[in-house]
Amino acid sequence: MKRILADAKAFGKQYLRSRTGTFFALAFPVILILLFGAIFSGSGTSTLPLYVQDLDNTPASHAFLDALNNTTILVYNPIPANANITSYISEHTISLALVIPRGFQQDVVNRTNVTVTLYGDPTQSSFGIAAAAVSGAITGFNFGVQGARPVVSLRTDTVSQRGTKYIDLFLPGIIGFTVLTTPLFGMTSICAEYRTRKYFKFLGTTKLSKAEWLVAKILFYVLLMFASVALIMAAGVLVFQMDGTLTPVAILLIIAGTVEFTSLGMLLGIFIKDQETSSAIANAIGFPMMFLAGSFFPIDLFPPYLRTVANLLPLTYLNQGLQATMVLGNNAAALVDLAITAVMALIFFVIPARALSWKAK
Amino acid sequence: MGRPVSPSDGVAMELAIEVRGLRKEYSDIKAVDGIDFEVRPGHIFSLLGPNGAGKTTTVEILEGLRDPTAGSAKVFGVDVTRDYRKIRERVGVLPQDFEPFDRLNPREAVGYWASLFDRRITAAETAATLETVGLTSRAETQAIHLSGGEKRRLGIAMALVGKPDLVFLDEPTTGLDPGARRELWGLIRALQSGGKTILLTTHYLDEAEQLADDVAIMNHGRIVARGSPDQLISQYGAGTTIVLAGAGQAGYDALQARGIVARQENGNVLVHVDDPSQVRWTLAKVASIEMPLKEIYTRRPTLEDVFLRLIGSHMKEGVLAE
Repeated sequence: MKRILADAKAFGKQYLRSRTGTFFALAFPVILILLFGAIFSGSGTSTLPLYVQDLDNTPASHAFLDALNNTTILVYNPIPANANITSYISEHTISLALVIPRGFQQDVVNRTNVTVTLYGDPTQSSFGIAAAAVSGAITGFNFGVQGARPVVSLRTDTVSQRGTKYIDLFLPGIIGFTVLTTPLFGMTSICAEYRTRKYFKFLGTTKLSKAEWLVAKILFYVLLMFASVALIMAAGVLVFQMDGTLTPVAILLIIAGTVEFTSLGMLLGIFIKDQETSSAIANAIGFPMMFLAGSFFPIDLFPPYLRTVANLLPLTYLNQGLQATMVLGNNAAALVDLAITAVMALIFFVIPARALSWKAK
Repeated sequence: MGRPVSPSDGVAMELAIEVRGLRKEYSDIKAVDGIDFEVRPGHIFSLLGPNGAGKTTTVEILEGLRDPTAGSAKVFGVDVTRDYRKIRERVGVLPQDFEPFDRLNPREAVGYWASLFDRRITAAETAATLETVGLTSRAETQAIHLSGGEKRRLGIAMALVGKPDLVFLDEPTTGLDPGARRELWGLIRALQSGGKTILLTTHYLDEAEQLADDVAIMNHGRIVARGSPDQLISQYGAGTTIVLAGAGQAGYDALQARGIVARQENGNVLVHVDDPSQVRWTLAKVASIEMPLKEIYTRRPTLEDVFLRLIGSHMKEGVLAE
């Protein structure tokens, strides 16, 4: 145990004295939560600019524009009636534009079908939001014209049992991202350094075993992850009044996840010969996992085959578990994810602890 | 040279190292091809040879870091391929191309390394170890800021923390400037004076000649010659060289005109005399010939001459000349 503590202490000193390591482990996740917070903390109240060319310019078209404004999502800006709509959109780099055709009022009065056209980029999430809002406004306008009254109405509420702010929903993903990247990228880089500088051989002349060396790294990374999570949460609470709560199951998930990804880094390290290989392997494994495991985008949005891939990724269960316990308050579901994460961690630990050799071939 | 020291643990004449028929083969090469040697306690034993000769492979087998294909390697009577753990604490290692941990200072590095041998090391012991290697004034400087020579000395300090009886120094001075090399030689001599047995690999002929009690010259995985530097020189470096310093082409031509065989080297003219009884006569003869001359002196053979004779080429920075 003394050897493990000594190795963890020496490793920790070196790590924390390296500005790069400290930045990515402690500062970068804080920057990330600040960015997410800044971008999304106003979600639900933010508005989309909609450029409207009103070719009819009649009381009916004005009433329709009022209906659009009443959605509280869209704020319209006028486009001159004599402008060519496609040229205008291109010249002014407009992402959302609506055209109300001539004869709009006449058609409304005559109860004949009239079509408004929405221009936009369907790959942007704002287009979907705008389309839904315009559609809602049209429905409301139609009800008004028909003199009808809506029977069903909508009230929104959050699924969160704990955090009630939007930023709280991002917290598990950011923690998962940090628990993945810091140990995984760190260990692959360390393995490359230890191999090229022959530290593995040098360590082979001491009493420190491979398993002890790995445990020392895990010990340090667990402490580092808790420091990182504390900073993330402190930034979220201080800047965005986040309500995030670190539950006991979340703490266990962070520990299991850190063991998992530190060991995975070591496992990959068996195949790493130098720094270039290290970066390539870590990026090839880490980046797809980062995006496919639901750290930043809900897995439910993925096509079915990608959902299958996501279910094979270890980070998915860490993210799901953190989401379940920290946001939904569903500890039973989180415990299942914890068990899966712990089993994967054990497998990832045992393989490099046995396969890595201090000895040269 | 030749200063055997009795080991302090009472195993009076136990060999520090005993290698018999050692082989290490890879699919297409024989890195070590059936070598035998032994190292007596308190001696500096040097494995000398060019890069790729098999020196480091041999040392790494003795350090328990490689398994041999055949043969036996014993350290303090223990077979290192089976029971290296038993003698680990009696062995200190400075690996080839040693680089310390960049962000630890020498004081921290020595303490850290001691703990990996389960040794509690006091601040005074750490200071004494750093004093031994001359790093006291740099004890708090992160290793990344140390010079090449200081880094190697730190490596030696780390090798010494377990208070080993045997120290492996694998090319400890490679890449260092002449001043740093000589400083390290002093340190290595001091270690021997302190009772340590040292196995030194090097490709510097002068280093082996200056430091080693025994030398084994390796080439292509084999030991081509063994003995003390004096023995090797007398056995393989027969003869005396008369050096006509500054004689240049004119001196060379003058000797040729009188039928004296000579060769030129760096502006000097060298006359080799095989028979010791002929040295005086030849010296008088060449001294009487008119030629531009700064000085004239005789030079006994060196390990370099031995190496040249045995291997057939010169060696520079571990690489054999074509």
